[in-house]
Amino acid sequence: MDPSSAPHPVALAPGLAGRSLRGRKAAPRGLEAASAEAHETHTAIHPSLWWAHQLGGSGTPTVATGFAELDAQLPGGGWPHRVLTELLLPHPGVGEMRLLAPALAAISRGTAGAPGAIAPSRCIMLFDPPAAPAPWVLGQLGLDLQQTIVVYGREGARGAAVLRRLLPSADALWAMEQALRSGQVGAVLAWPPDRLGADAMRRLQLAAARHDGPVFLFRDLRVRLDASPAPLRLALHAAGPGGLSVHLLKRRGPALLRPLALTLPSVLPPALHHRWQHRWQSRSAAGAAADAVAGRA
Amino acid sequence: MLWIALHLPWLSLESFAQTLPGDAAGKPVALLDEHRIQAANPAAQAVGVKPGMKRATVLALAPAIVFGQADGRRDEQARQAVAQAALRFTPSVSLESSDTVVLEVQASLRLFGGLRPLLQRLQAALQPLEHRIQIATAPTALGAALLAAWRRDLVLGAHTVDCAALAALLSEAPVWLVGRGREHWEALQGMGLKQLGDLRHLPRSGLARRFGPDLLLDLDRAHGDAPDPRTWATLPRRFEMKLELFARADRCEQLLHAAGVLLQRLVAWAQARQVRVAAFTLGMHHETRLHRMAQPGSSADEGGRDAAVPPCTHLTIAPSEASADAAHLHTLLAERLARLGLPGPVLELAITCDQVLDQPAPNGELFASAGSRREGLLRLVDRLQARLGHESLRRLQAVADHRPGHDGREVPLGSAAAAAAASVSPSALPPPAARLLRPLWTLPKPQPLRDSGAKPMLDGKPLQLLAGPERIETGWWDGDPVTRDYYVAVTATQALVWVYRERLPDPDAAPGWFLHGRFG
Repeated sequence: MDPSSAPHPVALAPGLAGRSLRGRKAAPRGLEAASAEAHETHTAIHPSLWWAHQLGGSGTPTVATGFAELDAQLPGGGWPHRVLTELLLPHPGVGEMRLLAPALAAISRGTAGAPGAIAPSRCIMLFDPPAAPAPWVLGQLGLDLQQTIVVYGREGARGAAVLRRLLPSADALWAMEQALRSGQVGAVLAWPPDRLGADAMRRLQLAAARHDGPVFLFRDLRVRLDASPAPLRLALHAAGPGGLSVHLLKRRGPALLRPLALTLPSVLPPALHHRWQHRWQSRSAAGAAADAVAGRA
Repeated sequence: MLWIALHLPWLSLESFAQTLPGDAAGKPVALLDEHRIQAANPAAQAVGVKPGMKRATVLALAPAIVFGQADGRRDEQARQAVAQAALRFTPSVSLESSDTVVLEVQASLRLFGGLRPLLQRLQAALQPLEHRIQIATAPTALGAALLAAWRRDLVLGAHTVDCAALAALLSEAPVWLVGRGREHWEALQGMGLKQLGDLRHLPRSGLARRFGPDLLLDLDRAHGDAPDPRTWATLPRRFEMKLELFARADRCEQLLHAAGVLLQRLVAWAQARQVRVAAFTLGMHHETRLHRMAQPGSSADEGGRDAAVPPCTHLTIAPSEASADAAHLHTLLAERLARLGLPGPVLELAITCDQVLDQPAPNGELFASAGSRREGLLRLVDRLQARLGHESLRRLQAVADHRPGHDGREVPLGSAAAAAAASVSPSALPPPAARLLRPLWTLPKPQPLRDSGAKPMLDGKPLQLLAGPERIETGWWDGDPVTRDYYVAVTATQALVWVYRERLPDPDAAPGWFLHGRFG
């Protein structure tokens, strides 16, 4: 993985550093020849090699996030299949499902992948969500309710909710692992307990290798400093009625210092939304940046 | 006519080994008959145990050996299972002797593409039953049975399709193979008659006078010179098999091995009937006799325990889609057994099945299609439900109601309600929208908020109201009326929440603001 050990160093056009490179088999459309050649050179050595100053090819298929500015920053250009993706939140309800909705809608309605290609609609499983998700909202987000299954771990269904959030239940982890291993599920969303051991994460990561779809683990922001086998980790912070601040903590590629500001589908009626946005912008070029920094610290 | 004979040389030993717990695999096991070894498994033979040895000698050789006794009823059930598995290939299956099953396959050859593919499929079908089986083919039933029993070292014995070749083979066979010959073996030995060929060369009248007409009849039947009418084995409409355990089982894991044996027999039966299992019941017979014996003169505690232990526990397993796959059924059974607490030690297992789906199994597919993917998902759901419980997997269903908490239902997967939900027309489903109207995460119970002046507070910081009020005033007809003004508010950390205030202050409830949802 050390770029200095690559036997054929190839000079890259400086403007191309950091551009997303598709997987090895996908045609590198829209990229200039130098970059394509460079990519070919080191992926010819091993598909999981990448330069430290540019994004790695994910090596696995991806599903587009629906947000162009986020796609550009993710290796492979979307949510990766077959590996864990960790989303760290301060609390549930910052806009996390609005962030995932385009990808989940595409999977559940079978419109993922290249346009025109026939993809089957696939199932989405939610493991131990923090509360019962509202069906109307999932429908408004574009998910197919017929393809959505909510799974509650056995202790979770009966025992105290507080305990469920703290201690890992063997049954819930087992169920998650079975779902990943079976390879029959389109996307897995899991809210694992806070004290999820490194061995459990590792097991899930191994099981995810058989799962042809994205896996999202929603975890508390407090675990951001713990080691994790997930190759993609994002910290999410709320940013008003139509925004989300995404901080890429870990990815195959260079660290991204500034958080990404994404525009989510708004909650407010259009007129109110514009008024609020005005106030938000006028209030703070400085204030918002300070907020974001404070949120990251 | 073409007959295949299946000879089970170790039937008694194997049917005994099946009653042992699963961890006994690879340990020495032997059958005893009047303090002498009747048969020993390979692990016992490896340490020098041989048939005919005395019990004490064997204990000196292998102290950890497990002794058992042959049980005619148990062997009969195992042999029935083999016959039922063979019924998948031909309707003409007959039980020849206590350890041989013969099947007539002339009419099946064309369907299965010849004798060799048929034998391969037969062996594959019998393999899960875990018996050592010696197979031979001959134009007569008894001839095939004799050939199969002859060579102990061959799994696939002699195969011949014409009577002359059979006669040549049989002329070299030892006389003990024929049942009648075995009774007179010593006399025959003394006369220097060692092979069946020697018997055939003797004058028939003298042979019949000395050894009775049955010996001659058997010889004629084996060579195809005398008619050999048979009764055919039939498949019962309802599957029921029992297995008495060698040792009583206190824990569910100890039942798995024996239950797996019965399950393989169930699947063989279902495949022969060309049906799939929709549901089956595992009955576990508990030990109650000991308590009953201890009851006269014993304390009330013993009587109480006796009353607490039912004679039998039933566990019904119904996969969401009828299946004839032993591995899948076994997984479901193992998960259900792991959850089940046994009320008492188990002595005997029984599997009954009378709910079957009388349809051919769907075709196998080379590439994954929508059908096979659906089946894979159903199996996953089955497995999860078997362990987590039926209520743990739920499908979401939207309900046309304005009140939060009444606008959706969670219905357990596989229930009638879920089936109804799955058949809802697409127009009844919520459409995708550009703007969210409601929060994704609704708190099960609204959380009261402190307020400072007019502004509600969350976590000590004031909330800023962005939109509202949205007045929800409905539900007076079903006893849960709601008269609330809902607002979208933004917290100090820029997260969106949904808060409300009662429009008409309720004299019972505390006035003020409540947090009811978060926009996910």
